[in-house]
Formats: sequence, structure tokens, C-alpha cells
Amino acid sequence: MAIFELPGWTALAPAVLLAATALALFVIDSISPTTTNRGLLAGTATAGSLAALGVAVWFVLAGVGTPTIDGGRGVIDVLGNQFVVDQLALFFMIVITVVTALVTVASYDYMEGHAYQAEYYSLVLLAATGMATMAAANSLVTIFIALELSSLPSYALVAILKDNRGSVEGGMKYFLIGALSSAIFLYGISLVYGATGHLQLETIADVIGNGDANDYGGLLGLGILMLIGGFAYKTASVPFHFWAPEAYEGAPAPISAFLSSASKAAGFVIAFRVFTEAFPVARTASVIGVDWTVAFIVLAVVTMTLGNFAAATQENVKRMLAYSSIGHAGYALIGLAGISADGGALVMGAAMMHLLVYGFMNTGAFLFVALAEYWGVGRTFEDYNGLARQAPVACFALGICLFSLAGIPPLGGFWSKYFLYTSALDAGLLVVAAALVVNSALSLYYYSRLIKAVWIEDPVVERDSLSQPIGLYAALVVAAVMTVALLPMFGPVADTAVNAATAVLT
Amino acid sequence: MAGTGAFGYAPAIALFPLVAFVVALTFGKYMPKRGAIAGILATAGSLLLSLWLLVTVAGGEVYHETLYEWAAGDVLTEAGPDGIEFTFGLLIDPLSALMLVIVSLVAFLVHVFSLGYMNAEGETGLPRYYAGLGLFTFSMLAFVYADNLLMAFMFFELVGLCSYLLIGFWFRTRSAPSAAKKAFLVTRFGDYFFLLGVVAIASTFGTVAFAGENSFVVAAETAIENGQTLFGFDARTWVTITALLVLGGVMGKSAQFPLHTWLPDAMEGPTTVSALIHAATMVAAGVYLVARMFGYYALSPTALTVIAFVGGFTALFAATMGVVKDDIKQVLAYSTISQYGYMMLGLGVGGYVAGVFHLMNHAFFKALLFLGAGAVIVIMHHEQDMWKMGGLKDKAPITYYTFLAGALALAGIIPFSGFWSKDEVLYDALIVGLEQPVILVAYAMALIAVFFTGFYTFRMVFLTFHGEPRSETAEDPHPVGWSIKAPLIVLGILAVVAGLVNLAPLAQVLGADITFLEHWLDGEFGSVEGLTYHAYHETVAFEEGAIGSETVTMLLGAGLSLGLALAGALTAHTLYNVPEPVRHKERLGGVRRTLEANYYQDEYQVWIAERFTLPAARMADRFDQSVIDGLVNSVSTASLFGGSRLKRVQTGLVTNYAALLVAGFIGLLLLLGTLGGWFL
Repeated sequence: MAIFELPGWTALAPAVLLAATALALFVIDSISPTTTNRGLLAGTATAGSLAALGVAVWFVLAGVGTPTIDGGRGVIDVLGNQFVVDQLALFFMIVITVVTALVTVASYDYMEGHAYQAEYYSLVLLAATGMATMAAANSLVTIFIALELSSLPSYALVAILKDNRGSVEGGMKYFLIGALSSAIFLYGISLVYGATGHLQLETIADVIGNGDANDYGGLLGLGILMLIGGFAYKTASVPFHFWAPEAYEGAPAPISAFLSSASKAAGFVIAFRVFTEAFPVARTASVIGVDWTVAFIVLAVVTMTLGNFAAATQENVKRMLAYSSIGHAGYALIGLAGISADGGALVMGAAMMHLLVYGFMNTGAFLFVALAEYWGVGRTFEDYNGLARQAPVACFALGICLFSLAGIPPLGGFWSKYFLYTSALDAGLLVVAAALVVNSALSLYYYSRLIKAVWIEDPVVERDSLSQPIGLYAALVVAAVMTVALLPMFGPVADTAVNAATAVLT
Repeated sequence: MAGTGAFGYAPAIALFPLVAFVVALTFGKYMPKRGAIAGILATAGSLLLSLWLLVTVAGGEVYHETLYEWAAGDVLTEAGPDGIEFTFGLLIDPLSALMLVIVSLVAFLVHVFSLGYMNAEGETGLPRYYAGLGLFTFSMLAFVYADNLLMAFMFFELVGLCSYLLIGFWFRTRSAPSAAKKAFLVTRFGDYFFLLGVVAIASTFGTVAFAGENSFVVAAETAIENGQTLFGFDARTWVTITALLVLGGVMGKSAQFPLHTWLPDAMEGPTTVSALIHAATMVAAGVYLVARMFGYYALSPTALTVIAFVGGFTALFAATMGVVKDDIKQVLAYSTISQYGYMMLGLGVGGYVAGVFHLMNHAFFKALLFLGAGAVIVIMHHEQDMWKMGGLKDKAPITYYTFLAGALALAGIIPFSGFWSKDEVLYDALIVGLEQPVILVAYAMALIAVFFTGFYTFRMVFLTFHGEPRSETAEDPHPVGWSIKAPLIVLGILAVVAGLVNLAPLAQVLGADITFLEHWLDGEFGSVEGLTYHAYHETVAFEEGAIGSETVTMLLGAGLSLGLALAGALTAHTLYNVPEPVRHKERLGGVRRTLEANYYQDEYQVWIAERFTLPAARMADRFDQSVIDGLVNSVSTASLFGGSRLKRVQTGLVTNYAALLVAGFIGLLLLLGTLGGWFL
């Protein structure tokens, strides 16, 4: 029992805290524009994201989003239902803030000597604000604004290494594809509005349920498909994935980690929310004549196959991880493909679990690349040969992250994939389950290639001893430890995820 | 009473040696005696706890407890409930309590003896040796008090692994690794059937527990009573089939014909290891398993007859081969096979007490003989050929007298322990054999084997200890220390007196109540329900006959076997107890070659392996290399090719991306639009 009730808008505190931190960084920057006090900047950013994380965890523990009959505080609506804070939102806020914290800690070393440090951190936090807002957005308008809030800083972040051609080129491509995708997404919103007359998600569902949109079935269908395009862009799913390999490769490695983990998770949360709340499968199917899950089944299979197959032949480590990240988007898409008229909470919960575990293991893998870039050892598999002799701890952490990505038991990645697999089977998606297995098997090939390179191969050239940057090491080790530490917590966390999915599905 | 008193410490009996294993393996190199101390302390601890348990069981308490359930699931079983649990648990009843004491005692003595046999002889790799002994003892102890068949199987396998490690201890020689591999493969062949039996029993009855209401024994009994049909057979036939499958493992481990070939080769291991393997662990495990699940075998007269017949045949078969061996350890090896044949015969005719009694006595006198042989080998500077020995009697009196006690027990001369148990086995076989011709044949073979046993045993004694020294080392023996003598004395005393626990013939004649072991196994002190001699005896479907009265039959049988044993010993005395003994093998003519070649058992098994197994393996290999690997390789080639193609889609030109993106989107639109009928 709380002694006093906080006003409703404070439910958005994680997002608000992130925004406030971004502004604080602006203030620091305006007071001392040329500051190179990395500790202050990275510290502020990390403290802000950790505070947001703490608040989000507190909310979950305090029962925000848990139905009141179960002793919780229920779902909290903000600004006339434009935002909603439920378990789904809090779950993803946690994922996003964790990744943000890891990235800001790692950036402490990575951005050493770079210009625009204050801008860098404030952009990261602004993007994180956008993502956290996406998690809570409950109307197509707020969703779009939040999406842009997260995208625009991302473009700048990818291109922040202004002297680096790859960085600038990647940022440019990211921006162009992003603009195209945003246009498609926005057009989709307008079509849905045209067909239903509403933007708020529940009211859209009501209109569809009433049969008021029956005359505009094709229009609504096209609108929904365009919305899918927008999500596909944000989650780097085929065919909207083209920006990802180049943006990830060109961006500073912590930003690649940030985009491939947090941004992807944010893309998924709006997809989950929009499709479960605004377009209930059965009712929508009776209007548009087809289950929208078909689109996600196709996307899931194509995305995971393309991502993994393309990753298998890469020579550049970061690019391999970029494609693997596309492959993982395909796995998470099963969460939407498996939703059906009579359920789907399990499969969606499994996808949420996968995104959480992925947030750690993928961030960890990219942070190792950041470490390699910091050392300046090179970019290809060959350049990584024999690193374990000089940096066994980092390479061990990398091994854990990669094996978890590949889904080797008993690591977290195995269990989340396993739940995806079994729940896909339960949902009757044999093709998807088969594709998941085949692609996982293939992914082991290229992940183990990297492990082999660092642990078994002899270095091609002699290296000087490698330094041990404390921030990067700390973030990398935490990511690896969390990949393992999630195991004992897997049951309760998975329950939370499934509860959250159940809540939005009913 | 779960885990109270002595039983609370029961797991420690097996865990002590496991700790010794870990300690010897990790720190052995740095320890004063290279891990021996840890092993001695651990086995001494196990021995003390086992004795405590024995006393507790004697006080009327038993212990049957599941400690850990590691898997459970729903399955549709043929006869039992729709679910099965796999657990680790302990079953401590009179049988296992007795066996725990035997195993830990022999293991302890072997550890002590090793100080003199291995450490004093400057062997290298001692931590590995003591680690092996520790793991071996652990596996056997855990096997002994396993409360279910699957757990027993797991530790049974572990016992096999340890024997492999220890037989191959001198892995730099040519013969030891080969012998180790042979022991591993031959016993594994038997264990394969054992595993099938475990699976069959589990899937039939939905339980693998040895004892209690939910045991497979009770389930099988119920199935037979209800006349159920299991997997298309009537219940009794199916029980026979599964019991015989399990028997495969028993025959491999206990070296029964035709899976006995590994055992003589296993002499390549250190003699201490042979003592452990033959007396208390590996080989004993097989017979112990039959005793452990005797209630199940009792349900199937066919399985029992098979056991009895194989046992009787093996007893004779191995004894004849022992007659012509020149290596002291080889003689002992064949005597082991032969003696386990007696135990199988005893169990096979329903003589549960007789079989266990002989198992116990054999453990003592065979450990004694092997350790005695080990002492002889030390004395002889690692010479094992008996023709190079002779005259050691006066130079090593303690070794001689203890060895003699063991030999008298082995030959079955009254009043040494072996006489009492062997006689009981033979008596049980005789009374059943009077009604069952097949068993009578088995009895006859075992009886003839008594003569050969007496002969080869005393041939060994006379050649080794009597007469004139026949080599320089025999004239100038190496002294042995107390770590060698002490275990010999302990076991020597046991070999003499162990028979006292069940003087059945005397009890019969005098009418005195002195069959303590029978009372013990009959649960008069305490027992788990259903696991008593009485219960078994009621289940076994054999009729028993007698010549005249029971007493007359008994005296006749005892007199016959004692006479034959003495005849064998006297023959050996005449031929070999002379100052300058000569070989008499030539007199055997063609038989000699057959015997020395061990009836060509190895040859035909190798022939089978080369003619059938090898070609089949080659075929499988070719299939694997071409079809399976080809398939896998082409999949990976196709994947990498597809990957490199997919990579090219990423041209680097952002206009291409936009075009492909829109094309992909339109493709998806066409698909959904067609399905949803949007374009109509």
C-alpha cells in the first residue's frame, strides 16, 4: 500500500528520466562546450539510464500493470490513453535501459579522443527516450512521434565519426532508407485512419469489431501492410533490412550494439502492441479477408533465412554480427507469426524473452567488436586470430555471448530459442519451427568460426600487448555474466513476459 | 526412520572413496604416498560405516529411501502405471549391508597392500593408480546399495570403466592396453543386453525399483497372476526374456561362458587390481546383481535353469583350463571364472543363501590368493612363471601359510570356508537335480570341476612353495614388508573361519541352530519386505528330491565333493610335490593343445569379429562417408553458395536498396492482397 499516490504521468518516469538526462547533458555541453571530461559525461548518461532502469524495475515489482485482481495496481493510462504503462511497456523499458547503460559505460573508453562527446551521449539518451516512449505509446500518432524521436538521433549517431567514410556513408544510407520507410509507415497510418476514423489503438479495434470498417477492407489491409513495413524497418527485417549491414558496420561499435539490441526491441514492442491491441486477429481477418499473421510468417522465415545465410559467408566480423542481428529479428518475428484467434501469449512471451536475452548477448558481442576497434586489431576474422592469448577474459565473455546467440545449452539463448521453438510448434507453425532449427544450426557455423579465430588460431601478425579499457571490459563482462545469470531467473522472468503478453492479448 | 542414525551416514560409504579419487587425482603428486593415504583413510571410513550399518541392520532396521529424482515423465507402460520416475536411492537390507562390508574390507586391504606392492616397488603414475582404485571402490559401493535397476546399471558401467582404466594401468606395454580394451569390449557386449533389459523392464512395468510395493518384481508377479499379455507374450515368457537380457550383463561382468575371455587377459593389470576385480568389485558385481533381483529371476524357472546350467558348465570349463597354466596369476584367473560358475549354479537352483555364502567366502579367499600371488611376485622380483619358483615355503612362511589357507578354501577342503559354501551350492543343486535332469547335468559338471579345482590349486601351491628353488631369484627372494603381510594375515584368518557363519551340514546332523547366514538373509534380524530367502524360496518353482532322507543326501553329497577335492589335491601331490617336479602336460596329448589354447574361444570370437563385425562396420563406414557426409557436405556447400549469392544483393547502392525494398513490399502486398481479395 502506497502512502501517497503519484500523479498518473509519473508512470512514464523511465522515459522522462532519460529525456531529463539528455537535457542535463545539453546543459553540461552549453556550460562547457569543449569539455573532454569523459567521466562526467559517460557517468551522467549511465546514471540516467540506470535510474530509468531502477524505476522501471521498481514499477514492475510494485505491481504496475499487474491486474488489480491479482493484487497489482493495474494498467496506468497517461494523457487520455495516448500512452499506456503496462507490463509489456515496462518489460521493454527494462531491456532498453539496460542496453543503454551498457552502451554508455562502454562508450567511456570507445569515444576517448573523439569530438562531440556531449552530443554523442545526449543523442544516445534522446534515442533511448524515443525507444522507451515507443514501449508505452498507445496511439498511432504517439507511436510515430516516438519512432521518429528514436530514429533521428540514431542517424546522427551512426554518422558521428565524421572523418570515417564508412560511418558517414552508413549514416546516410540509414537516413535515406529510414525516410522511405517512415513515409510508408505514415501513409499506412493515414490509410488506417481513413478506414477506421481513429488513431488510438483500442478504438481502432472497436471500430473493426463493430463492423464499421467492413466497407474499407482492402484499404485497411493495405494500411496494415504499410504499418508492417514501418516495423520491419525498425526491427531490421526483410525487405526493410538493407540499411542494417552498412549502418552497423559503419557506426561506432557501441552504437551498433545499441541499434541492434535496443532499437530492435523498441521496434518489436510497438509491433506487438499495435497488432495485438488495434488489430485482433479474428476480427481483423473478417474485415480484410486474410490473417495478418501470414505476413509475419513470411517475414519471419525470409528474415531469419536471409540473415543467417548472408552472415555465414562474411569475412568482416561486425558485418557478420549485423546479419546475425537480422537473423535474430526473424526469430523474434515468430512472436507475431504465432498469434492466433485463440491465444498466442506463450509464443509472444517467448519472443519477448528472446529479445531480453538478446539484449545482453548481442550487446556483448558488439562490445567485443568495440574492444577490438579500440585496440585497432582489424576488422576481419583473421585479424581476430589468437586474441584469447592476450585478452582471455574478454574472449571468454565473447565465447559466452556467441554460444548463447547460437543457442547452445545451457545458456540463455538456448532457452529462449527453445521456448520459441516449442511455442511455434504448439501454434502449428511447422515451417517456421523448421526454419528456426535449420537457421540456428547454420548460425553455429559462423559464431563458432569467430570463437575458433580468437581461441584456437595463431595470430597472423605479432601484436603488442593489449590494454584493458575498464569501461569496455566492465560492460562486456556484465553482458556475458547477465547472459548466464538470467538462467536461474529464467522462470520468473518468463512468467512476467507471458503475463505481459496475456494482458495485451485479452 | 528416514536418514536416522547410521543410515543418515550411508551415502558417505560410497562418497569417501569418491573424495579419495578426487584428492588422489588433483593432489596425489604432492602427497607423501602419492594418494595411498587418502585411499586408505577413505576405505577405512567406508569399512567402519559399513560395519556400523551391519550392526544396525542386525538390530532389525532396514533402509529404503529415494534420495534424488532426476527425471520423471508420463509414458504409457505395458503393464504398470502411466508414468515413470528415475531416481537415485539407497536400499540397505541384509544382503547389501553384508556386501558393503565385504567390498569395503577388501578394498581397504587392497589399498594397504598396494603400499608394499606399488609404492615400495617404485612404480610411476601412482596418483592415477590410487585415483582409479578410489573411483572403482566408489562405483562398486554405490552399485551395491542402489535401490533401482537403472542406478545399478549406471554404476555397473562405471565399474566397467574403472576396470578398463586399471587393467590398462601399465599402458606403455603392448599387452596391457589390449587386455584393457578386450575387457571393456567383451563386458560391454554383455552390458548391451543388460541395457535392453533395463529398457524393457522400465517400459513394461513403469518402474525400475528393486524393492517395495512399486518394484518391478511385484509388478511382474501381479502380471503373471493376472495372466496379462505383455508385448504379445504371456507374462511369464516376457519376464523370462527380460530376465535373460539382464543376464547378458551378468555373464559379461562375472565372466561366464562364453563371455569369460576377457578375464584371463585382465591379469595384465597390477595384481592388486586383479584382487580387487576378482574378489569384490567387477566380477562380483554380476553375481551380486542376480542376488539383488533374485525375486525377479525366481519368477522364471527357465531363466533360473539357464543360470544354473551356464554356471555349472562354466565351473567345469574354466577349471579344466586352469590345469595347464604356468603363470600363477593365470591359474587364479581361471579359478575365478570357475568359482563364479559355482555361485551362478547356486543361485540358479534357488539356493540364494548358498550363492551369497559362496560369494562372500570367495571374496575373502580369492582376495587372499591374489594378494598372496602378489607377494610371491614381489618375492620373485616380478617373475610369474611357476616353473621358475619353488621352495619358497621356508623363505616366506607368512606368505606360504596364508596362501595355503586360501588354497585349502578354494579347493574346498574341510573345514576351510570354501568347503562349506561350495558344499551348500552342490547340495542345493543335487536336491533340485534329482527332479530336474538338466540341473542334474549342471550338478555333475560342477562336481567334476571339484576334482580339477583341487588339482590345479595344489599344483600351484606345490610348484610355487615346495620342492627345490628352480631359479636364482627363488634362491634369493626379495623380502616383503608388513603392508603386504598384514592384509594376508587378516584374509588368511577370514578364509579359515568365514565358513562358520553357515555350517549347514553340521546344523543338519547335530540339529543345532547355527545357520546364521541363512537367518540373516531370511530377514530374521530385519529385512525389506519381499527380499528374504523365504519369500524367494516360495516363488521358485523347483521341486526338490532326496536320496533316502535329507541328511543322507547331504552327507552323500558332502562326502563325494570332499573326496573329489582330496583326490585332486593328492594327484597334484603325487605329481608335483617332489624336489624336482617335471611337466606332465605331454601326457595329455591332443587335449593339451586344446586346453592351452583355451578351447579356441579367443580364436572363434576373433573370427566372428573379423568375418562379420568388421565387414559390417566397413559397410556402415562407407555409407557414412559417402551418403551421410555427402549429404551434409552438399548442404553446407549449398548454404555457403546461397550465402554468397545473398551477400551480392547488398550492392552498396542505396537506390538499389530502395528499389528492392519497394519490390519486396509489393510482393508482400500481392500475396496478402490475393489471399484477402483486396483487388476485387
